[in-house]
Amino acid sequence: MSFSFPYLKYALGNLTKKTSCDMYPLKKKEVAPGYRGAIAYDPNKCVNCGMCMKVCSPGAITRTEVEKDGGKEITYRFDWTSCTFCGMCHDFCDEKAITMTDHYEMVGNAEDLVTVATYFKKTPAGKLTVSDDCVFCGLCAKNCPESAITVDRANKSWTVDEEKCVKCGKCISKCPKKALAFAKPQVKCGDDCVFCGLCAKNCPEEAITVDRPNKSWSVDPEKCVLCGKCVSKCPKKTLCI
Amino acid sequence: MFNKLIENSTAKSPWLYHMNTGSCNGCDIEIVAALTPHFDAERFGCKLAGTPRHADIILITGPVTEQSKDRLIRTLEQVPEPYVVMAVGSCPNSCNVFKDSYSVAGPLEKYCHVDVSVSGCACKPEAIMLGVVKATEILKEKRRAMKK
Repeated sequence: MSFSFPYLKYALGNLTKKTSCDMYPLKKKEVAPGYRGAIAYDPNKCVNCGMCMKVCSPGAITRTEVEKDGGKEITYRFDWTSCTFCGMCHDFCDEKAITMTDHYEMVGNAEDLVTVATYFKKTPAGKLTVSDDCVFCGLCAKNCPESAITVDRANKSWTVDEEKCVKCGKCISKCPKKALAFAKPQVKCGDDCVFCGLCAKNCPEEAITVDRPNKSWSVDPEKCVLCGKCVSKCPKKTLCI
Repeated sequence: MFNKLIENSTAKSPWLYHMNTGSCNGCDIEIVAALTPHFDAERFGCKLAGTPRHADIILITGPVTEQSKDRLIRTLEQVPEPYVVMAVGSCPNSCNVFKDSYSVAGPLEKYCHVDVSVSGCACKPEAIMLGVVKATEILKEKRRAMKK
């Protein structure tokens, strides 16, 4: 009877060799270039266009808006446990507010695996307007630091010089009848419009309709979120907020 | 003393049972990769068990389809207490892109308590290893709680 140890040579040889294992938790591993890990979100760059939510196939991105004084508090929530890490939100974000990091250690309770960030978006002030409640007392004109308002009590006329107005809001706070307000701003189209439809194509809320044969351009103020995407995409630079 | 020895050794050798509930196979491959010598999750004493009756940690992949729902419940009933459920990948955690599909009955939370979630689509083997280490700690705590 004879014993043979065919692998003895290898077994003894491997004893002195280094391990082929990565020893992962002890040694951190670098990811390959271009790896798409957890989402990072910069609220300071975001313009709240909502394009990321539109292109997200698993619906991992949710937005909550809370109306506050003079604007909105906007919170974006990116759920890693719902994400497919396709990177579409990053590709479609014009402001580059969304980036894919190399963070892959996404382990824990499902509630903790999220990116949440909040920012405050001020509603841009529109033209100063006056309602029918005006009694032409002239307090607004008196308090205007730029003398932009002229009130003619005798003729019952109230005018504002838009060039001079700095939208400080002093007149609004002084008005005894609370007749003054800033109008909600709107996207406006100038005369240079060629009805190319690029603004409508890039609108994340589909608020703009362009009818090329009839040469008509319209915006739905209810849908518009004033993200300014159309303004930046207009080839004739004829749009403004 | 003998009991203590068993207790210590079981804590250091969690047996895994891998269950696919309609996964695309991406995460399943990563689980297998995590057990290979290159990543070597077996350093933590893990061993892939062939039956749920031997398992301590259940790794579940896939969004829980209608077909696999009953099998999932039946399998989990066979696992001896205490055990840890680990949801591997985005699918069992939230159904991923298969949300609201007619054939998907998930997510996994509806049917059992998920102790550890590992996200990724598919998740990296390193993330699975971290998840297993975390699951082992939870298993230890569960064992202690059961003793009391």
